[in-house]
Amino acid sequence: MTRTAKPGAVPGRMLGSVLGAVTAVLVVGGFVLGPHVGNLHNGLIAASFTAVGLYVVRRRPGNREGWLFVATGVAHAVMFAGREYGLHAGPLPGASWIGWLGVWPLPIVLVLAGVTVMSFPTGRLPSRGWRPVVGFLIAVGVVLAAVSLLWPVEYARTELVAAHPLHLPGAAAAVAFYPVARAVGYPLIQLAWVVCVIVRLRRARDDESRQLRWFVFAVTVSASVMVLGLLVWRTPVPGALTVPLVAVAAGAAILKYRLYDIDPVINRSLVLGAMAAVVTLGYVTVVTGVGRLVDGHGTALSLVATAVVAVAFEPLRRRVQRLADWLVYGHRATPYEALARLSAHLSAPAGGLLDGICTTVADGVGARQVVLWTGPPDELRAVSIWPAAAPLPPPQRLTDLSAVPPAAIVVAVPVVHDGQFRGAITVTKAPGDALTGAEQRLVGDLAAQAGLVLELRASAQRLVAAGDSARRRLERDLHDGVQQRLVTVALELGSVVRLAAASGHAKVAAGAEAVRVDLLAATAELREMARGLHPAVLTQDGLEAALGFLADRSAVPVRLTVAVDRRLPSQVEATAYFVVSEGLTNVAKHAGASLVTVRAELTGAGLVVEVVDDGRGGAAVRPGSGLEGLADRLATLDARLDVRSGPFGTRLGTVIPCA
Amino acid sequence: MLADDAVLFREGMARILTDFGFAVTGQAGDGPALLDLVRADPPDVAVIDLRMPPGYAAEGIDTAAAVRAVAPDVGLMLLSQYVEVHHALRLMTEFDGGVGYLLKDRVSDLASFGADVRKVARRETVIDPELVARLVARRRERDPLEALTDRERTVLALMAQGLSNVAVANGLHLAVKTVEAHVTSIFAKLGLAHDEREHRRVLAVLRFLRA
Repeated sequence: MTRTAKPGAVPGRMLGSVLGAVTAVLVVGGFVLGPHVGNLHNGLIAASFTAVGLYVVRRRPGNREGWLFVATGVAHAVMFAGREYGLHAGPLPGASWIGWLGVWPLPIVLVLAGVTVMSFPTGRLPSRGWRPVVGFLIAVGVVLAAVSLLWPVEYARTELVAAHPLHLPGAAAAVAFYPVARAVGYPLIQLAWVVCVIVRLRRARDDESRQLRWFVFAVTVSASVMVLGLLVWRTPVPGALTVPLVAVAAGAAILKYRLYDIDPVINRSLVLGAMAAVVTLGYVTVVTGVGRLVDGHGTALSLVATAVVAVAFEPLRRRVQRLADWLVYGHRATPYEALARLSAHLSAPAGGLLDGICTTVADGVGARQVVLWTGPPDELRAVSIWPAAAPLPPPQRLTDLSAVPPAAIVVAVPVVHDGQFRGAITVTKAPGDALTGAEQRLVGDLAAQAGLVLELRASAQRLVAAGDSARRRLERDLHDGVQQRLVTVALELGSVVRLAAASGHAKVAAGAEAVRVDLLAATAELREMARGLHPAVLTQDGLEAALGFLADRSAVPVRLTVAVDRRLPSQVEATAYFVVSEGLTNVAKHAGASLVTVRAELTGAGLVVEVVDDGRGGAAVRPGSGLEGLADRLATLDARLDVRSGPFGTRLGTVIPCA
Repeated sequence: MLADDAVLFREGMARILTDFGFAVTGQAGDGPALLDLVRADPPDVAVIDLRMPPGYAAEGIDTAAAVRAVAPDVGLMLLSQYVEVHHALRLMTEFDGGVGYLLKDRVSDLASFGADVRKVARRETVIDPELVARLVARRRERDPLEALTDRERTVLALMAQGLSNVAVANGLHLAVKTVEAHVTSIFAKLGLAHDEREHRRVLAVLRFLRA
């Protein structure tokens, strides 16, 4: 494979190198001049954002977010170097102009950083609706920067040694106006990106959501350290030192989000942070609170405090861990809840038994994916998956199950019933997250339940198949036996009629003729019964011919479309036929419809069958009804009967999976 | 010549056909056996069961096609326990007349069955009245048959059974001219192209009724 550089990649690379070099010179120069605490974060942001941005752009030349990072980094580099120059104790040549460069762009650079965050991780705003917001922020930034450019409004705060280079009238008014405008403008910028990230996080799915969690995690840690530093040590240095973490996390999120999973990290951090806070608080409360009451027993109190903390630690940790699990993974059921919910799933009316088991396992162990397999060990077929939207994986051997994508499977538990292997349950969790002992036991218990369900399902399938073949056999016997005999008898009767007429026995002839007609009526009835048992035309000529017959006979006009280009397994054909047959019967009986649309179409998902009428509705799966029988029949084929009925008609639909 | 795997029925049919003045020149239990008989001595008509060994599906139609291939002049009468529209359409499409498709029940009405066999021998077309009745009674969204008069509907049903204008006229005790007028009117009302050949006409009408 040859790699051809995209047009624009080479100039992009050159520009990147130049910007990288400029940033390096500015940052190193700034640090040589002596980093000032209040300016430290600018240097760190400059170095980390430019470096990460350039790395991202090098790996993904088209990545807009990478360039936004570079822009943010370079802007901070200029400010950092300019400010260090202006902060230098012995004023350097041209310090007032160069230092000025490190001060007034601040509002604009803040807006730039905000937009960079708002565009994370795609480099684009979440939607067009954000454009006016960004326009407004830029306007705010430009106004603030313009004031700062003309008058020394930021100099008191930044403690620049060199004076503002311009001496324009109106400085007093500007100094009075600026803090107010800043107090409004800066929080607006912060608010905008915080809201934007929250909105994006709420809408994000899968990959983007994972990327955002990386980023939000880093920002949260950084902000926490900053707050902690300011509160405890009254210095922003620890917070500033964590700023590169944000850049690195963002870079990792863009390039490697699939490699490392952030959820376990967030989980552990939450537990760690919460425990540290609780332990500190407990210790401090005991030592200072009780210490104030009982003076002079410092050492003893420390010991007591330590003991209290030690005793309380494990129960507390468990509670905090549960809370953290809930925050990160959502609700995770206890084993008892899981089993209780399973029985609710299993007693649910139409189908879904297997889905119920998968959902229960997923709830119980906080899995990322759960698959239920059935069949012999050398050819396991996936029959159900959680989350339900995921596609079913292809058949596997039991020994190969751990290699099934998307990620290594944590456990594959065999499903055994009555000593016989029935299938397996596989559980996939987030990388680095293993099953606890209790969870293992839960999956084992659920596998036993699954064995029962799989066995029930298999026996239901056998019953339906046996019923079908019995009906087919009965139809064949009627056709070749009784019906054949009856038409032969009718034929002989016909000949009797003729003989009697020829020999002048008109009365006998008339009587025999009446019997013949009756006999034929009985034959016709028998023919209909046999057809109702199992239409021979379905076995012989397939679904289209059989549905055509149903449409011909329907009491309500039928618009029929059949798009099935091959013969399907007889179970599937028979079930589809009975769905349409039952549907048309119901329409004729109850719907008061003027038209029925019947559709049978073979799609990727299976055979789609639907019967839609424009009647008055009121159809439902009631116990003992024909629809319930259909639903049971469909369930054995892993299909579900979907009945939607309203005042403007009824739709009976299903998708029967078939290979 | 007869082909049916049900021996009793076949023998009975042979006897009454003989009584009725037909010469039954051979009997077979399945398609290939019939084909051998036809090759040896082509009859005027072969009466064939639709569902025969080995598959008990639609072997009769395949056998009929094979007979037509080796002996094009043999009339073909298909008998079945069920009459299916798609089989009728296939017979009308694949065979250029000289075919019949009846319920086995019809055999017991000797006079009309005998007449139908003779029609098939004359290259006419015979379709079972039950099948036609089913199609005519079929419920439709916007029923074009509503535009027909009762008399026209009767004529349409007879046409679909393969009757010629003359036969329709005899059956309904009408003048042939009157029937022709009805037929023209029916074709105009249903928007069908007129075709003098009967099996073409049957095909057109069946297709129309099924649409």
